[in-house]
Amino acid sequence: MFLKSLLPTSRAEFNRWTRAVLAVSGLALLAGCKFTDIWRMDGHQSTLDVAGPVALAQRHVFYVTCWVTFTIFILVGSTLAYATLKFRARSSDDQHAPPPPQSHGNPLVELSLIALSVGALVIIAVPTLKGIWYTYDVPVQQKGEALEVNATGYQWWWRFEYPTEEATVSGTVKMPLVTANELVIPAGRPIRINLRTNDVIHSFWVPKLAGKVDMIPNRANFLWLEASQPGYFWGQCAEFCGDSHAVMRFRVIALPAKEFSEWLEQQSKPARDVEPGPTHGAVAKAQFASLRLPDDFRPNETGVTGRFEIDPLNAWRSQQMPNKGEDPALIAKGRQLFQTKTCIACHTVRGVLGAQGITGPDLTHVGARTTIAGGLLENTPEELRRWIHNPGAVKPGNKMAVGFLQNNIHLQPDEEVALVSFLESLK
Amino acid sequence: MDALAKPAFLTKEEKPAAKPRLLAHPTAKTGLMSWLTTVDHKRIGFLYGFFALFFFLVGGFEALLIRTQLMVPNNTVLTAQQYNTMFTMHGTTMIFLAIMPLSAAFFNFIMPLQIGARDVAFPRLNAFSLWTFVAGAIILNIGWFLPAATHGAPNDGWFGYAPLTSKMFTPQHSTDYWVMGLQLLGVASIAASLNFIVTIINLRAPGMTMMRLPVFTWMTLVTAFLIVLSFPAITIALVELMMDRNFNTNFFEVSNGGMPILWQHLFWVFGHPEVYILILPAMGIISEILPTFARKPLFGYPIVVFSGACIGFLGFGVWSHHMFTTGMGTVATAAFAMATMAIAVPTGVKIFNWIGTIWGGHLQMRTPMMFALGFVWMFMIGGFSGVMHAAAPADAQQQDSYFVIAHFHYVLIGGSLFALLGGIHYWFPLMFGRKVSEFWGKLSFWIIFAGFNITFFPMHFLGLNGMPRRTFTYDPNMGWNTANFVSTIGAYILGLGIFIYFATMVYTYLSGERVGRDVWDARTLEWSLPNPPPEYNYRVIPTVHARDAWWYEKNNPEELAQERAEHAKAEAAHGGIHMPFASIWPFVTSVGILIGAIGVSALGPDNATTATRLTVVLSGAVVMFLGIYFWALEGNEGYHLHLDENGEPAEEEIAADHH
Repeated sequence: MFLKSLLPTSRAEFNRWTRAVLAVSGLALLAGCKFTDIWRMDGHQSTLDVAGPVALAQRHVFYVTCWVTFTIFILVGSTLAYATLKFRARSSDDQHAPPPPQSHGNPLVELSLIALSVGALVIIAVPTLKGIWYTYDVPVQQKGEALEVNATGYQWWWRFEYPTEEATVSGTVKMPLVTANELVIPAGRPIRINLRTNDVIHSFWVPKLAGKVDMIPNRANFLWLEASQPGYFWGQCAEFCGDSHAVMRFRVIALPAKEFSEWLEQQSKPARDVEPGPTHGAVAKAQFASLRLPDDFRPNETGVTGRFEIDPLNAWRSQQMPNKGEDPALIAKGRQLFQTKTCIACHTVRGVLGAQGITGPDLTHVGARTTIAGGLLENTPEELRRWIHNPGAVKPGNKMAVGFLQNNIHLQPDEEVALVSFLESLK
Repeated sequence: MDALAKPAFLTKEEKPAAKPRLLAHPTAKTGLMSWLTTVDHKRIGFLYGFFALFFFLVGGFEALLIRTQLMVPNNTVLTAQQYNTMFTMHGTTMIFLAIMPLSAAFFNFIMPLQIGARDVAFPRLNAFSLWTFVAGAIILNIGWFLPAATHGAPNDGWFGYAPLTSKMFTPQHSTDYWVMGLQLLGVASIAASLNFIVTIINLRAPGMTMMRLPVFTWMTLVTAFLIVLSFPAITIALVELMMDRNFNTNFFEVSNGGMPILWQHLFWVFGHPEVYILILPAMGIISEILPTFARKPLFGYPIVVFSGACIGFLGFGVWSHHMFTTGMGTVATAAFAMATMAIAVPTGVKIFNWIGTIWGGHLQMRTPMMFALGFVWMFMIGGFSGVMHAAAPADAQQQDSYFVIAHFHYVLIGGSLFALLGGIHYWFPLMFGRKVSEFWGKLSFWIIFAGFNITFFPMHFLGLNGMPRRTFTYDPNMGWNTANFVSTIGAYILGLGIFIYFATMVYTYLSGERVGRDVWDARTLEWSLPNPPPEYNYRVIPTVHARDAWWYEKNNPEELAQERAEHAKAEAAHGGIHMPFASIWPFVTSVGILIGAIGVSALGPDNATTATRLTVVLSGAVVMFLGIYFWALEGNEGYHLHLDENGEPAEEEIAADHH
């Protein structure tokens, strides 16, 4: 038989085969990638490279479990390895030797091993219990200074509400400040986040600041976290919530106290109106002409650049500034389209007549956010245009795509440009 | 036996003539009919194994597609919807259609042999379990062949968390297939488990006391109890979900005050014991393989058995460790964390005892032994990451991340699957009279071992680096690229290893080396049989004198031979070997259930009239009840075999079975 002809005749030959296979697969691996960064766990969502007391407490418990189990692994593993090597049959004589003494066990050994295991578990249990109570809620002595935020999960974006902050709708009409997909918090202050959901179960997770807690319908969950230093943090939904679960992302921006109150003040204002002035129309149009068209993007192409890799917080700060070369006429057209193309049915933009929809994210200051589409794309004109051109291609199954279809919304290229100009002007 | 005490129509002379034609007993010994009507536990075990391995390949193919999609960031091999379907079906398939039935294959084939029985207690119920399992598998997978827009395969995760499964968020029939498929698998599992429990309690050979049971049989018993006690929880949950979807009840309907968290409790009250349903049989197999190849008895048999039962009990008190992030509050979280840590003790005890078994032995490094040692190593790693999850604050970061995926693949592949693959190697000579080549066996082991670790070890790092699970894509700037790439390469290596394993098995089945009885010089009773074992298993029901019954017999041949001869005489005087009739009715009953289930899951107000739906469902019910009716009408008769010198049946006679 064909297979029989491949059979090796000796043990040595078998070892050669094994080694050859292992060597080939190892080389293939090395050729394919750099091995070194597999060990690095300092990514944007690292649970080890943490930035706040809650995540720190969780990491501490993890390290305790690591050390205890690692020690046991070394002890038990080396015993197992020793036993395997020492007692294995090495020769044909060994194979056919009479069976060893038929011993049945040793109660003393068993009991002492059980006692040792229980002891090891106690070492883990104590910090576990401490951690459970510490991470559950803001410590009593800090309760007074905690900032309360309501976070609500939607398929597939996040609504953040500051119940204690008033925002102007128009004139003297006020409502609690609402924003979306980017939670801005003061650094060095505990934040207590009430977790709610509008539809299915989501889970709020900013690994560098705190472990996740689920947003479950009919359940008043909460978590607390604190950013020790100002910073820009990545977060993501951690409970499967349907088609676009993987791209339900968000950011948390921690600011120094003073900057945070400035931000609150700015956010509380209604949508920015661009002053009519010298028109830069030609410049703006030229800028758009140089951008990639929506259909140039590959399906599922990444929407991130290197802009937030080095100094994300300052990149966020620069996003707060008004864009250069704004075209008031184009923006005015975009504002009108925002109303006529029924965007207002789902989106609130405080200060724009009729824009009070609550199905979609509040866009009052969308231009000042660093990301759009639920933290998926960086907030640049070409990404924004890509998003409104065909939202379903960017985020499968999302409600804006459904809304476009049901209401028969079609955007011409110049309408897209106007809408993008308007939205980007909302600083 | 007193012939006069029996009703006249059951006497030997009248019966064949008196039978209505419809109820004639099937007699085919070969061909398709013989497989559809078989009640032989060994043939049923073989069929369980066949279907399980088929679905194992299907689930493995789904896994390779998943890994291909994640090989590089922002990949487009699968769409989001396809990816979600893949991971849902990969999990559901591997748990319910691969590992569980593969364990059931061993329960069926090996357990009755180990206790010295001639079959399970209810042979036709056994056939019913098999065919209902196949029906459930068909329902689960039927969506692949129907349009994805309105049907599609299940795509809400193997855990099916409410309210994502409600009609509002998943209007397609995909979730109905998931509900009905799992429901049927539950029926099959519960029926089979009751059968195994009764068999182990009642059909043990004389002298086979509970504390002489082989550990694999013990673990079968514990697993069967776990199934019987845990599946009702998911049955209830699935009924509630079905009612919500089809009859507007409000168990999980949020807008009407339903409680989605209720689903999670019901699901995990089943789901956590399910984890032990998957691993305990594997532990049983390991506890058979290690003593055989160490050539000494299992170290601390009573404590291994006790810890297995202990894991079974504790397994019911830890379900909420799957829900540490659902905001249970401090006390509940603490209680479930402590209970979960407690399970590490009996689990650790098993590992200590396996090492104790090896210690001082003469280790024969054959392929099953390689898988068994691989199991101990991998299960140890999986167990340690399990302890990390038990520490609730650490779990808040790990839950639903790739760290969890690494953990449970270490216990389910490195644990369950390694044991099952080793078990196939171990019992292959007994089942088919052929032995798998050591070279190809070991080669496939090493490739599987390497591929498995290359695939899943980097996932620990991915999880700690914040990659959430069930995500069809990720961005290139998150630091996950290398680990994902390596993991995918590992998956291909693992796939290659599995391919070599299967090719070797098929080759061996067709033309492998023939071996005689007891090729491993093993210890338990099943190895006293010729291979493959005859239909009636034991010519004479053995009498058991020690824990490792066959080892004892080999060491005391004269005593046992004499005793056996006496028993043979007694049994011959008793009327020969009693065998159950084959029967088509369990199969018919399952077909009826399948038709009804298709009616419930594939048809709805959107694609069929009420009359059509009722017709399909009711005709399924009619077929099912006809099956049960004729099954009942068959009675519990059988026939007697009288063997000649060589163990071949010399004569068959119809028996009126009342003894």
